[in-house]
Order: sequence, then C-alpha cells, then structure tokens
Amino acid sequence: MSIEKVLAKHEFEQWLYDEAKLIDEIDFDGWFNLMHTDLKYEMPVRVNKEGMERPDYSKEMFAFQDDIETMKMRVDRLKTDYAWAEMPPSRTRRFVSNVRVLEYVENEKAVVHSYLLIYRSRSTDIHHDLISGERQDEFTYVEGEWKLSKRFFIVDQTTLNTRNLAIFV
Amino acid sequence: MIETKTNVHLDEMSREEVANYLSETVRPEDGVIPAYIMGDENVNKLEHEKIFMKTWLLLGHESELPNKGDFITRDLAGYSVIVSRGQDGSLRAFYNMCTHRGMKLCRADKGNKGQFTCPYHGFTYKNSGELIGVPLQKDIYGGQLDMEKMSLHNVTLDTYKGLIFGTWNENPEPLLEFLGDFKWYLDIVVGRTEMEVIGPPQKFIVHSQWKIGSDNFVSDSYHTMVTHGSIAKLGMVPNAAYSKKGYQVHVKNGHGCNIGMPNPDFAFPEELIPEYKENLSSDQFELMSNVKNMIGTVFPNLSFLVSHTKVKGKLISNTTLRLWKPIAPDKMEVMTWFLVDKNASEDWKYRSRESYILTFSPSGIFEQDDTEVFTDITQAAAGTLPIVKNFNYNYTMGMHREPVKDFIGPGVVYPDKFTEAGSRNFYSYWLDMMKA
Repeated sequence: MSIEKVLAKHEFEQWLYDEAKLIDEIDFDGWFNLMHTDLKYEMPVRVNKEGMERPDYSKEMFAFQDDIETMKMRVDRLKTDYAWAEMPPSRTRRFVSNVRVLEYVENEKAVVHSYLLIYRSRSTDIHHDLISGERQDEFTYVEGEWKLSKRFFIVDQTTLNTRNLAIFV
Repeated sequence: MIETKTNVHLDEMSREEVANYLSETVRPEDGVIPAYIMGDENVNKLEHEKIFMKTWLLLGHESELPNKGDFITRDLAGYSVIVSRGQDGSLRAFYNMCTHRGMKLCRADKGNKGQFTCPYHGFTYKNSGELIGVPLQKDIYGGQLDMEKMSLHNVTLDTYKGLIFGTWNENPEPLLEFLGDFKWYLDIVVGRTEMEVIGPPQKFIVHSQWKIGSDNFVSDSYHTMVTHGSIAKLGMVPNAAYSKKGYQVHVKNGHGCNIGMPNPDFAFPEELIPEYKENLSSDQFELMSNVKNMIGTVFPNLSFLVSHTKVKGKLISNTTLRLWKPIAPDKMEVMTWFLVDKNASEDWKYRSRESYILTFSPSGIFEQDDTEVFTDITQAAAGTLPIVKNFNYNYTMGMHREPVKDFIGPGVVYPDKFTEAGSRNFYSYWLDMMKA
C-alpha cells in the first residue's frame, strides 16, 4: 500500500469516527454540516433471494431515501418538542470498521466503504437493538473539507429488529 | 363499575372460562376496554385460535406476482405460505411445507418458478400444488406411493380489487360478505384505478401488542395533534388540529375508517380523473375528490392510509397498506406496502414514494413516533398487575353523538374524526369472535 493510500485510509477513518461521535452525542446540526448539498442518502430494503442471486436488496424500495432537503426536515423535526421517538434520545454507539478506500482523488473526491454496527438502547428498556450493515460512501471535497455526497447503507436484516429508524445509519 | 377481583388467574381457566371473563370485562358498549387484553398470554393464545386461524388475512397484492409462475412467500397467521400464479394464470396458496417430512420448500421472498423442489429429499411439486416427482420412486416405494394424496396443503384464497386475502378457515364467510359495506371505502383506497405495489414490503419488529396498531388506525385521529405535533411544526400540514375535520365510519365485522375532509386540493394525479370516474361510482368519486386523508382498518390487522401532505413545498399523497402481525403478546412484525396509481406520471410516482419513505416507512417521521407510544403502552399492559387491579382504558369519546343520516357513503357515520366509535365497534366484533 502506498503512503498516499495509507494516509487516505487514515483520513477517512478519522472522518467516520468523528461523524459517529457527533450523532452518538446527539449533535445533529454538527452532523448535518458534514453533508454535501448534493447528498443522496439511501438505505434499500434487503430481500431474501433464491440461492446466490445478487444484489439481494431492492432497487425500488428504501427505508431511507433522502436528499439534503428531506434530511434537513428530519434534523429540524428532531429539534421540535414533539419528536417523541427520540425524546429522550436513544443511547447509541456506532462502531465503524473495515474501512476501505476504493477511489481517491486528492482534494476532489473519494469512494469509501466501511462496516457499521449500531448499538441502540432506549429508556429503561433492558433490550438493545443491533443494526449491522455496510456503508458505501462517496465524498466530495468542498472548501477544504470532505463532505458526504452519497451514502448507500446495506443493512444485514430483511426484517429490521428495531422499533423505528428515528436514528441515522 | 365491576368490583375489583384480585384472584383472577387466566392461565388456570379453560378456554370457555377465559371467554366468559372477557365477556364480563370487555365492555365496548360502555366505553370500557381492560388493559390486560393488551398483554395477557392466554388472551393472545385464544386470539390466535379464534381470530387469526378463522378470519381472512391479507397476504399481498396481485401486482406483486403479475406473471405466470411468479410467487411470493408470506406468513398467514404466523405460518409460512407460498402464493403462486399458476400456468393457467390463477392464484393459489399453499403451506410452505413438504408433505413428506415437513421441510420448508421455499426460502426466497419472491421469484418465478413452475415447480418447487424440497431441499431435504428432492420431492418436487408443481406450482399448482401437485406432487410430481419423487427421486427413485419406483424403486424405493415399489411404485406404490400415492402421490395424489401428497399435494401441498391448500390455503383458502380470494381477492378484492387486487388485495390477496387468505385464511386457514376452510369454510369462511365469503370475502365479499366479510368486507361488506367497507368495500365502498376500500374501492377508493385500492380500486380507484389499477394500483401497483412498488418494491418489496418493508418489515420491522416493534415490541408492541398488535391491537394497538389496528385500534390506532380504526378510530384514533385524536393522537395526531400531539404524537405527530412535529409535523405541523414543519409545515407539512396546516396546524395541529387539522386531523379533527371529517368523518368517522364503521361497518359490521369491526372494520372502520376516518376520512379527513374537505380538501381544497385534489389529492391524486389529476390526469387520471377519467380512470377514477370509470372505476368508482359518482358518489365514491365525489368523496375521493374531497379527501385529504383516509385512515382505516380491515378487521383484524390490515390497516390502510391515504395521506396528503406537503413535501418540499409541493402537495403529494401516498397510499399504503400495513399489517400488524402478532408474534407474541408484546411483539409484532409491522409490514408496509407502498401502492401507487399505475398510470400516474413517473414524477408523481417518484414524489409519492418519497413522501411515503419520509412519513410512514420505518424511518418515517410520522411512523416513528407511533411505534414509541405503542411500545410503552404494551409494557404497561403486561403481567398480572392490570388484571388484579382491574385497570381499564377509557373509550367513551363521542358517545354523546348521534350518527349522521345523509352521508354519501354507507355504514355508521359520525361527522367528526375525533370519536372512539370505530374502536368500540372493533372491540365488539373482537369479543364476538373470542366468544364464538
């Protein structure tokens, strides 16, 4: 691995860790600032296919399919006094690993895939939810910062074992 | 009030005694629904036998399997079934179990197959259910195996306006009669034109009693003001009390809906008006032209929703179906389908799907607040406390009102969405079935 690639991997690992910290600590404005104005944020519905047929997710139906405008609505909603689903907020911990930089053009764009495991605990409930999946991210460099321009989250369940997706993936 | 009984033990009662106790304590005509029916294991078990094994339940929509050989696998009362479209074009459904040794035949959600082969011993069935192949049959069974008697176990099936219903009851009330006058309203939701399901249904687990979902859709527009208060704050609907205006309807067999109206804007693609007029009566079309939302439940656990809101400054509606599938007294799988008018423009379809995902999918900003409430109600209803303390819910809202006589559609109709009449009707039919 060239030193350039090592540095790029390190750079995006840090970006993803910082992102995780912002949303785990309920700084939605801080998190939203990481998004590019051309954002495409999608989570397709995973399906059970015959045998090895791939891809095993839907190209037509999504649990999230947001652009910057609808994402802004979600974030704004969480700041109203009526966003019961996350009031008080879930305790979440986002574990990011297996970071791979697939494409990297310095100060321009990058394609980065990573694994994500979210631990979610609500209120006094002794149950916890685990959401596991792969993020396929694309980044665009804007005014000295990497912004997330595309996220495609492939979740590892066909039936989601969490009460809602009031949290971000 | 019924005196408090501290020595009630449903787990020691026979089925008949449980039904009698339900009769005494579930009093929808007085607006009294006891909390224990939302958490008790014995009630849950009886519901499975008396309701879910007896009534029609939704399996899917015809547009999910348009071609010969198409199939989908779904649960019917918790048991996996294969719904398939045979070479003759007709729909059939079977228990997803090989009749030889009981292995699950098909593990895919959907596909296209003329026959199914069991992964255990290779028994092969046509998609019409007949056993057509057994490896080494002549040798190992001496040609004596009665294959005709080994067809897949059949599920009773019927459809209405594209909705596929199944039941384990071999002698059910005919589907059209079961739906009764509710068909008039369902027509607007799923029969106004050719509708198609887009993509697979979304499925998620909520630690909630299934009835809370059905009840919420059959008569609870009241919660919208508070639970969904954030939506008005975002400007997606005019104000928090917008959900009050309109009508609430219920018919026999526990079905009911809420019709939000009037609406100054037409909630559906205007270019399809000729199709709507062709498929609906003039009264149905008139109602449709005025609705801003329709929320209802087909007994026991199929709910539907037409919702018209403003997304990105533009009005758009979406039509969805959902099943509240019981898994345990305190757990259900929610399954939601997005439907769209097949001949709508691509732009309209895209925006309608976008509004569904944003509002009523698992990430939906309406949906998520509901599931939070459902979960907490379920926790409070569990255990022996609600039964020994005789905790009841109050379902008296709107009991002072008289139904209107001159409404355009059938059923018992109230001129206000804020009433619990639809829930009283739902629990009254629920009780009839539990006692039957």
